[in-house]
Amino acid sequence: MITAPTAVTTAEVTEIDASARPPLLLLIGSALAWLVLSGALALVNLVQLHTPSFLADCSVLTFGRTQAMQDSAFIYGWAANAGLAVALWILARLGGSPLRSLNWAMAGAAFWNIALTVGLIGIATGDGTSHAWLHLPRYVLPAMLFAYAAIAVPGVLAWTGRDREMTYASQWYAVAALFLFPWLFSIAQTMLVFVPERGVLQALVAGWYVQGAWTLWLAPLALTAAYYLVPKVGGRVIPNYDFAALSFWTLLFVGAWTGGRHLIGGPIPAWVATIGGVSCALLLFHYIVVAVNLRDAFVTGGSIVLKFVRLGVAAYVFGGFLDAVTAIRGVALVTQFTFFSAAQSQLAISGGFSLTIFGAIYFLVPRITGQPWPSAGLIRVHYFCALLGTAGLVAGLAVAGWIQGHELNDPAVTFAVIGARTKPWLLLATAAQAVLLLGNVLLLAHLMRAVASKLLAPVVVVIFRQPPPMGAPAS
Amino acid sequence: MKNGFLFFLGLFFSLAIAWAGIVLGSHVQLSHLAPYFDENEGKAFPERLPGIAVRGQLVYQDLGCAACHTQQVRRPDFGSDKARGWGDRQSVARDYISQPAVQLGESRFGPDLANFGARPHAVDAARLTQYLYEQHNGMPSYRFLFETRRIAGERAANALNAPAPAGSEVVPTPRVVALVAYLQSLNNVYEYPEARPVVPPAAEKKEGEHPAAPAAAKKEGVHK
Repeated sequence: MITAPTAVTTAEVTEIDASARPPLLLLIGSALAWLVLSGALALVNLVQLHTPSFLADCSVLTFGRTQAMQDSAFIYGWAANAGLAVALWILARLGGSPLRSLNWAMAGAAFWNIALTVGLIGIATGDGTSHAWLHLPRYVLPAMLFAYAAIAVPGVLAWTGRDREMTYASQWYAVAALFLFPWLFSIAQTMLVFVPERGVLQALVAGWYVQGAWTLWLAPLALTAAYYLVPKVGGRVIPNYDFAALSFWTLLFVGAWTGGRHLIGGPIPAWVATIGGVSCALLLFHYIVVAVNLRDAFVTGGSIVLKFVRLGVAAYVFGGFLDAVTAIRGVALVTQFTFFSAAQSQLAISGGFSLTIFGAIYFLVPRITGQPWPSAGLIRVHYFCALLGTAGLVAGLAVAGWIQGHELNDPAVTFAVIGARTKPWLLLATAAQAVLLLGNVLLLAHLMRAVASKLLAPVVVVIFRQPPPMGAPAS
Repeated sequence: MKNGFLFFLGLFFSLAIAWAGIVLGSHVQLSHLAPYFDENEGKAFPERLPGIAVRGQLVYQDLGCAACHTQQVRRPDFGSDKARGWGDRQSVARDYISQPAVQLGESRFGPDLANFGARPHAVDAARLTQYLYEQHNGMPSYRFLFETRRIAGERAANALNAPAPAGSEVVPTPRVVALVAYLQSLNNVYEYPEARPVVPPAAEKKEGEHPAAPAAAKKEGVHK
């Protein structure tokens, strides 16, 4: 039975939570709005796969542009906003003092979302680039870089101004994500858009960026939440915590090297693809440690927060193993250039990232608003929609990709036949995406209801403030 | 991890080393690639794209054609690329050096286009334009790239064979014309020294730099 975190004791809500309410709600609210938009675009995109005439006459929603907009809305809209909100809040909680310089985060969040809106309009009208995860037109990229830096300011201050020397795994991952993304993003902008590299080096830089954005930015943001929530909600110490640091540095140092695996057999130096495969195998150490560290998430029962995190961690670890398997040449021969890659990508971002962050949002929002979620039933429906939707989407795309890969390798099979044979599985993926979208719409509506009830309710003064821990230096 | 400075250095080096390894490493290896001058042909390969094809590549990019089409041929023993007629040899880095926006692509829901203009049964511009107008073989139609206008005087030479109201005709916009020119310019069949899987033992040494400089390397029978 699911127990929803409907009741948050007043004692648990501190000044840290209440003070950060406006920027965090802005980030989370816009994140969910982007998630819904991205889901709707993904639905259009999947329908177009098996019914090419769907909206074909609309230049704004032609297949390639829809896909670019869907990716951009997901990565820079949903994942960036939500991930940053969670990271800032956890840094503040673990740092032990309220977030400072929140005006920076407010302004940054506003500019980030304005720039992204302009960027999506740019893609729709034909200004997009063709680099995966970097489709946004050139004129919004510098603004987004500065906006990101502004949002990150309170997080950096919470890290440098923390009230204890000792740090937690959550903090490492959060700080890594805050610092590394601007570097990655600025390098990718420069080498792909403003002073583009020549020839296939563009594809190499793009591959490196996509992998870096996952392993050095989005995955650390998800792990920030997972490493905070599992011991916090589960009430137990992280087992084998000594390995967490080693696992962290493995992800950081090895992660970005795995990008070359997508280019196996391509017109690039062969060592890039080989190193990509080897790095994927090395990275298994990280995934194993994450699974061991967070195994308390898999204890049956538990709150809805843990249920979401459990699914997220499972998808993250499983995705890591799948990456290693598909980096083997014999397997890549089938999966390369097919929907299987799309399935892996969905497993990582819709599974590993989104599900963990949903858990964090369910934990966080009652604490910053000081009120429980209005409806336990809505949370339960969202949970099942997210579970079924993600599983169906990944399974549908994976099977379609596997069939597609085998048939592409048989030169006698025409593209029309491949289209017909993959259609049932693409229909499954479409249905799953619709379920996923429904769940995310419910979450957005639920958040709006929670915020509205907060605004309409009489002002609740936080009367209890946690005393500073014993023996802590007075600050 | 108590030492903040060391932690920060670690973060810095994690990114810097991966960047230096993959990006800088391949940059050092590939950035010197120059067009290959073939004395027999009297010109250098890859040939520069004509202006209209460069504009066509921008159309290809902004419509996101790379979402379904790759432009990279894998070697004959890795996949069915050769058997499907997409190219006799593996694509190499030199094929792309003259392209402003490289479109390698990651998905093959449609066929590879690396050698679209060199295919044995290459479609002519008029047919290709018609395909883009109609839904063809799973590819959506791109009607928004065409305009229906009143016939002024004579029917336009490039008017499509498509239903239109009486007195009107469907004509391609300059964007389709550029896109078609780009697709037809895709032709990477020239055999560079590095594009040959096995160096023939009798290959003559030339210029020291290219051990297997192809005296008559232009593959025969490409335009079967």
